Amino acid sequence: MERNPNKFWNPYLAGVALGLVLLSAFLVMGNGLGASGASLRFGIAALDVLAPAHVAKTAPLARAAASAHVSWLVFEILGVLLGGFVAAYTSGRLKIEVLKGPRIGTGARVALALSGGLLMGIAAKMTRGCTSGQALSGGALLSVGSWAFMFSVFGGGYALAWFMRREWR
Amino acid sequence: MTFPVLPAHELGLVVAVLIGFGFGFVLERAGFGRAPKLAAQFYGTDMTVFKVMFSAIVTAMLGLVLASTVGLADFKVVADHAASATFLLPMVAGGFLLGAGFIMSGYCPGTSFVAMASGKLDGLYTILGVIVGQVAWSEVEWRPGFAWFHNAGNFGNYYLWELFHLPAKAGPVVVALAVTAMAVGCFLGAEKLEKVLSGRADPVAMATPAGKPGRLVFAGFAAVVLVGVAGLALPSSTQARIREAPAIGQLDLARRVFDEPWRLRIVDLRALEACATRRIPGAECVPADKLGSLGLAYANPSRDLVLVGEGDLLELPPAAAAYTGRVFTLQGGWKGWETFALVQPAPLAAGALPADVELYRLRSGIRSAMTGMKAAPPPPTPVAAPAGAPRKAGGGCSG
Repeated sequence: MERNPNKFWNPYLAGVALGLVLLSAFLVMGNGLGASGASLRFGIAALDVLAPAHVAKTAPLARAAASAHVSWLVFEILGVLLGGFVAAYTSGRLKIEVLKGPRIGTGARVALALSGGLLMGIAAKMTRGCTSGQALSGGALLSVGSWAFMFSVFGGGYALAWFMRREWR
Repeated sequence: MTFPVLPAHELGLVVAVLIGFGFGFVLERAGFGRAPKLAAQFYGTDMTVFKVMFSAIVTAMLGLVLASTVGLADFKVVADHAASATFLLPMVAGGFLLGAGFIMSGYCPGTSFVAMASGKLDGLYTILGVIVGQVAWSEVEWRPGFAWFHNAGNFGNYYLWELFHLPAKAGPVVVALAVTAMAVGCFLGAEKLEKVLSGRADPVAMATPAGKPGRLVFAGFAAVVLVGVAGLALPSSTQARIREAPAIGQLDLARRVFDEPWRLRIVDLRALEACATRRIPGAECVPADKLGSLGLAYANPSRDLVLVGEGDLLELPPAAAAYTGRVFTLQGGWKGWETFALVQPAPLAAGALPADVELYRLRSGIRSAMTGMKAAPPPPTPVAAPAGAPRKAGGGCSG
């Protein structure tokens, strides 16, 4: 297979393909796609090592630890890592690196990634799902909350884009 | 209903990995493992995020609507199972927060996993941040002062078709078609915007043009909308074809035969000889198999069509259902009419209720008018007629 790291799938065809994956998740598993549930479970696993009794005492964590939906997401995310790895390898994009715009240092980029992740983690717990679980899956299911969330995400991104231009441009 | 399949636990986890594999593979190939490409969405130079997400939503949504239409699944059942309840306030606030985190980190939680899998350290740090953030909010979300916000605006499972007050059955289809039409419009707009904005020399702009496959997807979505709208229009006429005609009672019909015969069109579907011998006044004798020759679909709909069969009509003939005005079937058919209007009602015992007396009088009157026989003398009126006002001479034979 030809490996060109700058060649991507046509976005619309990729979208249709992603839609078919999502549809199969709906029809086979009765669940949408997601990501943030899995990362929460990883956090819970880490907490279990650091402070063993703490999770059971914190209701939201205990709930997530016992949720079958979250278990599905953990295994789905294992698949995502596998699929992402194979796709990156076969397209020549598999490389240990830090991606950033031309005008920002690696340290600043990593700090922004970490703090952006922190905000998203808080937000994803607040919204009962991230862009995958809430916007993509819930959006396809025509949930009102999902659509409100989706517009807000784009709103938040565009509102802050001008301040973050040095990171990307 | 056949779907969702909901496989047993172990098999389900294998399927989860397979589905996740597809998810991750497609995301990576679309370019979602690269922060600069994702961030370019918010500078208008590369709308890949929007295009991929929206066409994925439309595809999955249409697929599920189609599966529901052919009876393989039920849209609402799947949605109730897979979608979370709506908590409006935290979802809008959290949405803004997540958007802010998105432009800072360059990823959303899902794509950061793909980035990490392809070796991007910024993706790894994003995941670490996400985990810390989630655990932190889990610590506080249920505590006083936070719980009200975390659960504010709880609408339960709440869907767009309910928001727009559409019927539960057709609602998902209508909204899905509207979303699809909107998507095609937005895609064309996104292509235009990219062209305008990447016209400026921009080193990071690396949008993949829609090209032929993209146009194919547009055309496919647009075709679905057209077919869907046509399909929505058709069922309403097929519904008319299988519509239930309300029954009209004998007394109501008799009243209308006397009071406003010009607003009735009574069609007697019995055999020609039977109808020719005796029929409801003004009825046309049209045997059921000749009904099509009336051209009811194009007839003036101002009169109410009343169908008279031998007994109750079990199903509405299609030719009559095509009538655009109101259609009734006569309750009990001709047999019911015969016993109601053409047979002298049994005399009432003394002390009968006034309502029964009234009905008796009406039925006797109807019978005498229909059969040309003199009415039996009415039973004595229970209440004395008010004296004074001269009684209007009217109607009966005894007047």
